[in-house]
Formats: sequence, C-alpha cells, structure tokens
Amino acid sequence: MSGTTEIDPAAAKAEIIAYAKKRGALVVGVADLAAIERIAPPGHRPSDIMPRVKSVIALGVGGQTQGAWSVPAKAMAYFGSTETRAYSCAYGLSFFIENRFQTPSIYCPPDMDNEAGPRVPMQSLKLHAELAGIGARSLAGDILLHPEFGYMYFASVFTELELPADAPLAENPCPAPSCVDMYRKVGQTPCMKFCPVQCLSGRIDDAGRQAEMHYDMAACAEMTQQYEAVPAVIAAALAAEDAAARTDALFDPDNKMLWYKMSVGSGGLLAQCFECMRVCPIATRAPQADPIRRSKLGS
Amino acid sequence: MTQGLSRRQLGITDAMIDAYGETIFRLSNNHQIRRGDPVRDKDFAAIDAHRHELGMSDAEIAARIGLLSAQVTFIRNLEERRRFRTGHYHMLNRLGGGRRFRADRMTPFQDHFRYSEAALGLRAALAFDPERVRCYVERGLWRSDTLRGWIERHARERPDAPAIIDGGRVITYAALGRRVATLAAGLYHAGVRPGEVVAVQLLNTVEHLEGFLALSWLGAVMSTLYMTFREADLAAQLTHSRACALIVPEAIGEFRPAEWALAHRGELPHLRTVIVVGAPPAGAIAHDALAAEARPLPDDLPVPSAADPFLLLYTSGTTSAPKGVPLNSHQMLTNARLGIVEHDIRAGDVVLSAAPFGHLYALYSVQMALCAGAAVLLLPRFTPPDLVKTIAAGRASHVFAGPAHLAACQAANSFAGADLASLRLIVLSGSVVPPDLVRAVGPHLRNGTISQLWGMTELQAGLYTRPGDPLERAATSAGRASPGTEVRIADENGRAVPTGGDGELQVRGPSVFAGYYDNPAATAAAFAADGWFRSGDIGSMDSSGNVTLSGRIKDVINRGGVKYNPQEVELLIERHPAVVQCAIVPVADARMGERACCFAVLKPGAALDLEGLCAFLTTQGVAKYKLPEQLKIRAELPLTATRKVIKSRLAPSA
Ligand code: SF4
Ligand code: SF4
Repeated sequence: MSGTTEIDPAAAKAEIIAYAKKRGALVVGVADLAAIERIAPPGHRPSDIMPRVKSVIALGVGGQTQGAWSVPAKAMAYFGSTETRAYSCAYGLSFFIENRFQTPSIYCPPDMDNEAGPRVPMQSLKLHAELAGIGARSLAGDILLHPEFGYMYFASVFTELELPADAPLAENPCPAPSCVDMYRKVGQTPCMKFCPVQCLSGRIDDAGRQAEMHYDMAACAEMTQQYEAVPAVIAAALAAEDAAARTDALFDPDNKMLWYKMSVGSGGLLAQCFECMRVCPIATRAPQADPIRRSKLGS
Repeated sequence: MTQGLSRRQLGITDAMIDAYGETIFRLSNNHQIRRGDPVRDKDFAAIDAHRHELGMSDAEIAARIGLLSAQVTFIRNLEERRRFRTGHYHMLNRLGGGRRFRADRMTPFQDHFRYSEAALGLRAALAFDPERVRCYVERGLWRSDTLRGWIERHARERPDAPAIIDGGRVITYAALGRRVATLAAGLYHAGVRPGEVVAVQLLNTVEHLEGFLALSWLGAVMSTLYMTFREADLAAQLTHSRACALIVPEAIGEFRPAEWALAHRGELPHLRTVIVVGAPPAGAIAHDALAAEARPLPDDLPVPSAADPFLLLYTSGTTSAPKGVPLNSHQMLTNARLGIVEHDIRAGDVVLSAAPFGHLYALYSVQMALCAGAAVLLLPRFTPPDLVKTIAAGRASHVFAGPAHLAACQAANSFAGADLASLRLIVLSGSVVPPDLVRAVGPHLRNGTISQLWGMTELQAGLYTRPGDPLERAATSAGRASPGTEVRIADENGRAVPTGGDGELQVRGPSVFAGYYDNPAATAAAFAADGWFRSGDIGSMDSSGNVTLSGRIKDVINRGGVKYNPQEVELLIERHPAVVQCAIVPVADARMGERACCFAVLKPGAALDLEGLCAFLTTQGVAKYKLPEQLKIRAELPLTATRKVIKSRLAPSA
C-alpha cells in the first residue's frame, strides 16, 4: 500500500526537512533521481538497491568548532569525522518517513561495495548531495563544500515517497577568492599546498573557476585510512625472519593501535586527515561553519 | 579471492597483471581528474566524455579493455595492495596545531628520529638499577631538573640578575637564555644532534660555559678535554667518546688543535665538525658564527629531559687508563640542587671556580650557581694574583678550588692584605688536602670559612664538611655524605668496618654513575656485589659520619707483606723546606715484593738526597718500613687538571 497519492509532496518535503534539522542536519535537499541514475555507474544506482525508489534525500551535518580546526592533526583524526552523526540522522529520518507517510524508506548504506572492495562505495553520497544542492565539488579531491555551512558530512535516505527535487547549487564556492589569489601567485591553492602527500593539483581558469581537479585518491587513502594496514601487518608477520621479528610485527605500538581500533570499531584515520580542510577558507570560515561567527551573525 | 574465486579460477595470468595492472589502477577511482564542474551543471555530455578520467567502476573498465569485471576487480585490488605503504600516516603526528605541511620541512620519521648509533649507545650506558631509580623518583630526589629549565626560570623570575661575570662584562639571566638558545641553534645547524657528544677543550671562558649550557639546551652531550691534552690524549678520547664535534681555541701555546684535528680526520671517524673560538682554519667553523645563528631550533625538536645524558667525562686516571663516565641531569642536578643549601649558596651570590671547567668539580660549582640564581664569576686561567684580584673585583661569595691553588697563593703570600671580605666559603677538593693549608688560610677569611669536599667523576660531590663545622674538621676530614648519598667503609670482603676502622670508602646514591661507557670490565670492577660503588679510596668514618681519607687502594705499597699507604709520608715530605711536590710509588723488588720510590720536585736552588730525606722523616716519627728507599728528583711531575700527580706515568726505572 502507499499513501503517496494523498500526500502533498511539497508539504511532506517541508516536514521531512524540519524533522531532519531537528535531528541535527544543517541542510537537507532532494536530488534529481533521474540524474543520479544517469550519472552513477551500473550497480551503484539507487534503483540497484531499492527498485521502487522515487526520491533521494540528502542531508549534511556539520562540522567543526573553531577550536577543533586548531588542534594537532592526530587529535583531529579522531574527532574530525562526524559522519556517524549524519548516519544516525538519516537513520531516524527513514523511520520518520515510514511512520509519518507510511512509505518504505531506507537509510542508504554508506560503506563499500561488497563486490569491489573498500575503495568503491556502494552508493555515492557525494553525488546525491551535490545533485540535491547541498554542496559543490571542491578542488580538494571533490570534497563537497557549502557556501554557508562550509564542510559537512553527508548521508542519504531513499524513499518510495515522491518529493520535489532541488537543483544543484547555482554557484560553486570553491575556489574562494583568496585561493584564486594564491593560485595566481604560486600555482597552488591552500588545499593543494598543505596536503601532506601532495595528492591534490589542478587548474583555475581566467574567470576564477575550477578548470581541472586532479586527485590521487590512492595516496590520500594510504595517508588517511588504515584498513589496508591490517593485512599488511599480518603479511609482514608471516614473512618475518624469526619469532622476535614476527612478534614485533604484530605487537609493536603502531600495530597494537590498529588492533585496538578494530576491537572497538572506532578510532581516527578512518576517513581523512583534514589537512586540506584545515586550510580551506570555505570549510573553516563560511558564515555558518564558524560557530563564533555564527553567534555574532545571530546576535 | 574475488567473490569466492581464486586467481586461477578467475583465469588471471601474470601476463594479464603485467599488461593491465597499471591501466586498471589509473582508470579506477584511485586517480581522479575532473574537468570543469559537469555534475553540478548536469552536463551529461561532458560527464560521458571524461568518465574515464573521473574514475570508472570495474564493470566499466572491463567493458573498455576487454577483461571480465571480476578480473578487473582482482587486478585493481592487487595493484592497490602492491602500492600500499604502511606507516605513511606517521607524518600526521607532526602536523596541525599551527604546524602545516611544507615539503621542505617534512622528513620521514626514520630521518626525524635523529639519534645516531653512537647516541643510542651512550644512552644505553646509563643503565641504572631499576630499583634504585624507583627509589630516587619516589623519594623526590630525581625531580626532572635541567639546566635549560633553570635558566628559563631565572630568565623569567630575575631577568636582570647577573648570570655570568667575566671581568667587567656581566651577562644577565635574560641575556644568557637568549645567547644559549642561539648558540644551541647554531650547534644544531652545524650538524650537532641530540644525544651526540661534543668534545670541548677550552679554558674557563664564556665560550666554554655557554657551550656547556647550549649543548645541554640542545640535548647534546659535552665531553671535556683537559687543556694539557695533546695529540695522543686527544685522539684517544675523541675516538672513545665518538665525539661528532670539537670546540677548541685557535691555539693552546704552540699547539693548534683545530688544525691537528682536521689533518687527522681519517683517524677520527666520528668527528664531523671542528668549531674554533677565534680565527678558524679552512674546514673549521667559527664559534662566533654559531653564536650569531639566525635560524631557530626546529620547533619539533624534543626538549631535553633530565634522563638524557648530558656529560661524558673521563676520569682523571691517576692510576689507570681513562674511563668515560656518562652522566645525566637527574644525577648531577639533584646533587647540585641539594648542595646549594649545604654550601649556603643563594640567589645573588657569586661563585668562582679556580678549578678548570674540564673537571666535574668545577661544573658542580656552575650547576649550583645556576640552580640558586647566583652568578658564575669567571677566572679563565689560574694564577695566585689573578685569583685574589678576581675575588675582590667580582665580590665572590664562594670559591671552589684545589689545595694546589691555595697552596700556590699561600706560597706567593697572595692572601696577605687581600680583600677577601665578600668570601663566605672556600671549598677545597681534587686532591689530598694538607691540614696545615686549611689552618693557614682559614684565618684570612674574616667573613667566611673553608670546607673540604670529596668527589669523583663517577658521582660528583659525595662528602663535604659544612660551613658551620669547625675549621679543624675541614682541615682533617672530607666531611659527611651529601644529601641523598649513602657512604660506608668496607673491608676487602665487602663487610662493613666498625666505626673508626680503615677500609674502602663505598658509595651509593642518586648521583652515582651507572657504569663506564663501553668498558664492561672497568664497570664490573667498579661496583661491589651489592651494587655499591667502590671508590678506591681508603678512609675511616667517625661516629658523626665524617670521613677521613688516607689514600688510594692502588697506591698501597706491599713491602714484604706489610702494607701501608704512602699518603701520610708524602704529606710529611711536602713539609720539607726543599720540596715543592712529591709522589711515592712502589718499585718491584725481587726480595720484598715492593719497595717505595719517592719522586720529588725541589724548590729552585734547593738540594736533597735520600739520606737527608730519611733523616727528616725519622724526626717526624715515620716508621722505618715506610721510609722511601729510592729518591728521584724531577723538574716536574705529570699532573691532572686538578694538579693531582698521575702516578701511573711515573716510571721508577727512568
Ligand atoms: S585528506 Fe589529507 S591526504 Fe587526503 S587530500 Fe586532504 S590533505 Fe590530502
Ligand atoms: S582551499 Fe578550499 S576553497 Fe580553496 S581551493 Fe581548496 S577546497 Fe577550494
């Protein structure tokens, strides 16, 4: 059964947005499903996991305090990732939609695709959010930025409820004017310059718009995600010359840290290293991204 | 495996991996290129045109290159694994918090961890008994003091107070902090790294003192070379200490140490840098350039801790080959911190060392001054008139000297009429203190007194008399244990000797060294079975804990089975009007085993023969078996920096 015929899509959307914002979302949008289906490769389209999907809702949660951007990178690696808050918001929203509108909904699985391995997501949350108009691709490896809210984590909800789609952002806030100035002077924007593995490069055109973005994701993943270190450690232990070296390979402090993270299912360096965002004027100083500025704007 | 299938089942060959591995990796999302902003613009034509650049799925790649999707997945994962480097993220530990990535500043951790093999070896030599360490930490004896911490504190709390007085020049604590930090940076940029040894052969100058402080500021280790050292001694110590740098004056008399070192680099494999106070020869660096370094120390350089080695000193080696003693700040600065109360050194006092900075005794006085916030008054080179003049001009409150320094002043009658009113304490140490010397000099000090101190390179200050003790005690006793130090008198079997009995002075405590550097045999011989340090000195202890020393075990002469210590005889000989200095050593003898041979330096124009000497000693009540049986007159005797006779260099046959 479906109650969609009796539901006013615009009103439903307003309720959904209000609910998600109450649950911590800063921005909520509905993506153009047809565009996603057109762009995403086969096997990674919303209809591949929910054949009767009608709408893809994307939401973004912020962000960092100004203090957080100033802490050492190893601390930032721990609390910089706020994606679980986005996921719990989306999880709640899918329940809300079913409960309120009696329409099947799912919280979109954010992780990797079983068939392809950890570097291939099952669904592109980035694509959903971009088409829903809640972020635009930046020169920092396509990390989405929002002109008001800066840098966020995203989550999606698929639903059989029909909702009016939003348009992508009319303007891309990246590169910021100061980044264009820097690029003109030194050939790099802040994110490019301060990435510790130098995995970012690109070109800005004469109008100050992104012309090309180059991202060495392999280098970034090596730097910022540790899942591949686990089998690497075991392989090193198996190849060790003697028992002492084998034990060292498994139990040295670095590797014990990996076991710890695996045991408790948490820990830093499972998302990104944040150095590119730390220096990004949009990520850190967009009006609504900076809580200190936000309070002044509000007062 | 990919979806449960093995490489063989998937039909993947090595040739396939070789041919497609790189292509698949690059076509996948591992490398992404985006042109323009086509998704936001919903420019499907542009998206399609550049799909391969933005990263294709395995199925898309498979369709392009003619493999199966599962084969692409397998090969892509294999390529990702091949390229993966663990530990890459270590770089993050040095980023953020205001420190941003700069390619020219980032070094891999293994390069950043700049402890050389020699530095790690030296650290390892500080192998204290863990139980003793726990005891020193729990009792609050080891309190993490560092010279850098003391200087920084005084620079904050008393910035304008004098820290160094060098003739008419005064360096305040605030200035000292800046100067030492700059010199430390200069040393760093000249290649000196934490934990590495830098050998220093300088007089008691500002450069020597600031060099010591800068090295400890940097976390490097100072190893002093006596000013009397020439080629053979320098080569031996530079080699054993693994010194990476050498700081020397332009010339010591005729000798040009920098030129010698540069010419012998091939034989000194660890020596990389020669620093010269004065004009450097080609290949050496000017000290002045380091002292004017504009670059700071790298901000990620660890601040040295009290547990880091900061001195590697060689024993004066009066009876055996020199041994390297590694020392850390815990040991030395605890001893100094507790010493300032006992020696009554306070902020505003002025401390002068007549002993050379090459000797730990002099550095002890420096450490105490810096602990108390007192000033170090420099006397670059000792002469009796210079000492007296400097005391008066600098208003010295404390003088640390050897008996020979005072004896020379007495002989030159320098104290008569001198302005010694500022002096509260003269501390004597370094060799046997003649009681008459203390009795003679004491009355010159209207406002002060004399202490006797016994110490060794292996432990710094072990015993001393206190300023409140009667002068006669300082004349006849080396005093009682320094705070935290335990002493005992033990017999040959290591058993405690009853009060008043003679035996070996043995020591345990927070300043006692852990062992000689790279010399396990000497280390094993230096400690009793229960871990007490065997000083090698013979002495007795009274019921108040005051110790009177009577000589070195190794100097004992065994004449036909009768053993005696020649020290008391030596002291009597030095009272003879013709004698300046003497030393008695054993000569091998077929019948008696050993007989005593006396080496003596006579006053100008004086004469003495064996018969006359024995007649004199007999009048002084010396037993017949203790009378020297040979007399050798010498123009001078081999002396250590503290003017102790090096008996091992006296050859009776010569
Ligand atoms: S997350 Fe780190 S490694 Fe990845 S692009 Fe940003 S700065 Fe570079
Ligand atoms: S720093 Fe931020 S705004 Fe500037 S180019 Fe990079 S991602 Fe864009």
